[in-house]
Amino acid sequence: MNENQRVQQVLTGNTSAFSYFVETYQDMAITIAYRICGNMQDAEDVVQESYVKAYKNLHSFRSESKFSTWLYRIVYNTAVTQTKSQMWLSTRETEVENAVHIGSNTLEIKIEDVERNEMVADILQKIPKGDALLLTLYYMEDNPVKEIASITGLNESNVKVKLFRARKLFKELLTKHYRDETENVFVN
Amino acid sequence: MERKDKYSEDESFRKMIETSKIIAPENLKYRIMHQIETEKVFTSQESNKQVSTRKTTGNVLKDLTSIFGTMYAVLAVIIGVAYFLQGEEFLKSPQFWGTIILVGFIFSLFWLISRLDANMKEKRLKQLSKKNETQQ
Repeated sequence: MNENQRVQQVLTGNTSAFSYFVETYQDMAITIAYRICGNMQDAEDVVQESYVKAYKNLHSFRSESKFSTWLYRIVYNTAVTQTKSQMWLSTRETEVENAVHIGSNTLEIKIEDVERNEMVADILQKIPKGDALLLTLYYMEDNPVKEIASITGLNESNVKVKLFRARKLFKELLTKHYRDETENVFVN
Repeated sequence: MERKDKYSEDESFRKMIETSKIIAPENLKYRIMHQIETEKVFTSQESNKQVSTRKTTGNVLKDLTSIFGTMYAVLAVIIGVAYFLQGEEFLKSPQFWGTIILVGFIFSLFWLISRLDANMKEKRLKQLSKKNETQQ
């Protein structure tokens, strides 16, 4: 059964069919909410509210887009509204200036897994919310730029530019804050 | 060569970012589904209320137009008959006005009884639905 058929089931009154969407997308939804809210409690509340909104407005879902894109857009909007946060501040320039210069674009992963997870989580906390969100959407779910644009409300070229800067900042902060541990990560 | 570097860099990023995926807590799904079920019940109750309110207001208007419409028709007939049979002077007499007031009073009483009956029915229905809810 495809997603459109499941949507139709829910629309005809079968509420339990909606649990498929909750189960399938809740992890990514909470990741998005967490990137914006910055804490788990708020992120959970945002995801819950978003799913209820999605359920109530399911009749307005157009099957031309993916359900996930539509849902993530709701999560994004709910989180931004709840936290009243400005997503696309240009504070990264300062961070970039303070970060050490890296000579190469090549990135190699040779660090222990646990160590790496902690590092990545830490860097994602340090970079601006918008950048962390873009990296998450782009790399975690392989969302194409077009879909990221419709989730965030930015235009495609803007997404590309911001994604490029986010990648650069991520690498620079990784080098700056974890110079010792990452001697093997960036090959100069 | 550059393309290959870009691809491997993307792969490295993918591997790193994937590790930061947050797993939703076990109870979140149940919380969401529970709220959705509650919303569903609440929405259906709301729509039932709206329908019953619409029904009640519809009944009041229907009663008003049908009962008082008939009353005015009867009054018009009485006035017409009195005018043609007894002449204009009779229309000013206390007998005629007494008849008019009596007709008006009877129809008002009739309307009042029908409204009381409708209210009692409504109350009974509400009590029944409350009983059903508590039983569920």
